Amino acid sequence: MNNKPDESTLVAYLYGELNEKETKKLEDYFQQHPDELAKLRGLSEVREVMGQAQDKEVIAPPIFVGDAGIRPLWHSNYFRVSVGIAASILFILVAGKFLGPEINYSKGELRISFGKKTEQPAPPSGLTEEKVNELISSSLAKNNESIAASRTEDQKKLMQTLVDFNSKKMDALTKTVSQASQEQVRSFVSNLQDQNLKLMKDYFQLSTADQKKYMENMLVDFSNYLQEQRKQDLQFVQAKVNSLEKNNNQFKQETEQILTSLISNPGKKKNNY
Amino acid sequence: MAETLLDIAMMHSDSLIARAREGDKNAQGKLVQLWYKRIYNFSYKFFFDHDLAMEVSQKTFISMHKNLVGLQEVGRFKSWLYTIAVNYCREEVRKKKASRSFSLYDLNPGEGEESYRWEESHNRNENPERQLRHSELSDLLQSCLMELSHEQREVVIMKEYEGLKFREIAEALNISENTVKSRMYYGLDGLKKILEQKKITKETIGYEQ
Repeated sequence: MNNKPDESTLVAYLYGELNEKETKKLEDYFQQHPDELAKLRGLSEVREVMGQAQDKEVIAPPIFVGDAGIRPLWHSNYFRVSVGIAASILFILVAGKFLGPEINYSKGELRISFGKKTEQPAPPSGLTEEKVNELISSSLAKNNESIAASRTEDQKKLMQTLVDFNSKKMDALTKTVSQASQEQVRSFVSNLQDQNLKLMKDYFQLSTADQKKYMENMLVDFSNYLQEQRKQDLQFVQAKVNSLEKNNNQFKQETEQILTSLISNPGKKKNNY
Repeated sequence: MAETLLDIAMMHSDSLIARAREGDKNAQGKLVQLWYKRIYNFSYKFFFDHDLAMEVSQKTFISMHKNLVGLQEVGRFKSWLYTIAVNYCREEVRKKKASRSFSLYDLNPGEGEESYRWEESHNRNENPERQLRHSELSDLLQSCLMELSHEQREVVIMKEYEGLKFREIAEALNISENTVKSRMYYGLDGLKKILEQKKITKETIGYEQ
């Protein structure tokens, strides 16, 4: 037995309340774990020591409890319940005597009633299904008519309200305009003209400045272009002049060579060429 | 603990309980005489207080008298009676906690022949010195018992001094048998430590095997 026994098993062993098999298992465990056995023996010694505490001697005092004796019949529960039921039934009977009970059973319905039967007005007889349908359709038609009439009336009221509102608004506007004086109109127009003039002036000023700037830029670009063109032309002319000079020098050298040759060989015949 | 005539009578009191349950006054009186000492000693060991033990015992037997008719099984009388006693003990503990009073009985009892415990030694025909020694030893062990928690103390007293079976204790306290055994184990373990602290052993108390 490797698993440690729990406290309840140990206590049951201590008091000799384990069965043979469990006792054997526990003793096997104690052989492997003598420390546990020693601990249990310690508890056994505690029992022996505590067993030395003696009982106190005491004499039972007389205990007087209210003598119930034989309970009278009317104190028993059965009697009380029975009397309660009987009283209830008696009450119902007396109430029934004065109120006039009526018990009916008809069409699977049980009715218990007290007092006089109240007469309910009989419903009007002779109503057929067709009459009912006719009544319903006439009622529906009346209802529709009244709804349509009220709708038309509402529309008329709404239109009238709109027209009244617009006319009132227009009247107010016209009134405001008519109330304005001649001077106010003039000042308004002159203000308008001044504003337009100022606007035009600003526009032209802005436009002239832009054009001037553009023209200047264009002239500068054009002069640069001319300068560049001239430079290139000069370079071209210089190159041509150099070429001519070179050719001239070469011709000059050849001429000198020929002359030198003619001078150095004056006797040679023309046929040696 | 040697069985006395009283113990034997208690073990064979089934017919007495049955008659008492039917309202036999004589049987009820005999039951009180039979069980009063046990319930008193249980309560005394629980409180270590004579007055409280007397009060709990009286309340227990008054309750027994009123409710015995409702006892279903005669065989469960013992655990039923201890259930009543335990409930009254717990009630007194609650009252005691609320009032925080102490008994004059707990004051210093004095020593030797001046002690009032000399006067209350029980067996008059025994050697008075030996009686006093036993009384002091009982008080010493009782003080050790008082250091346990209520739950452990209830179980230890019921098992060690009242000789209830684990099943009966479980019924009386309305807990499982395993819980009873577990409380018993930890109760004994706690007592072992307390006895060690107070250096009380078989040798120091002159225990004769």
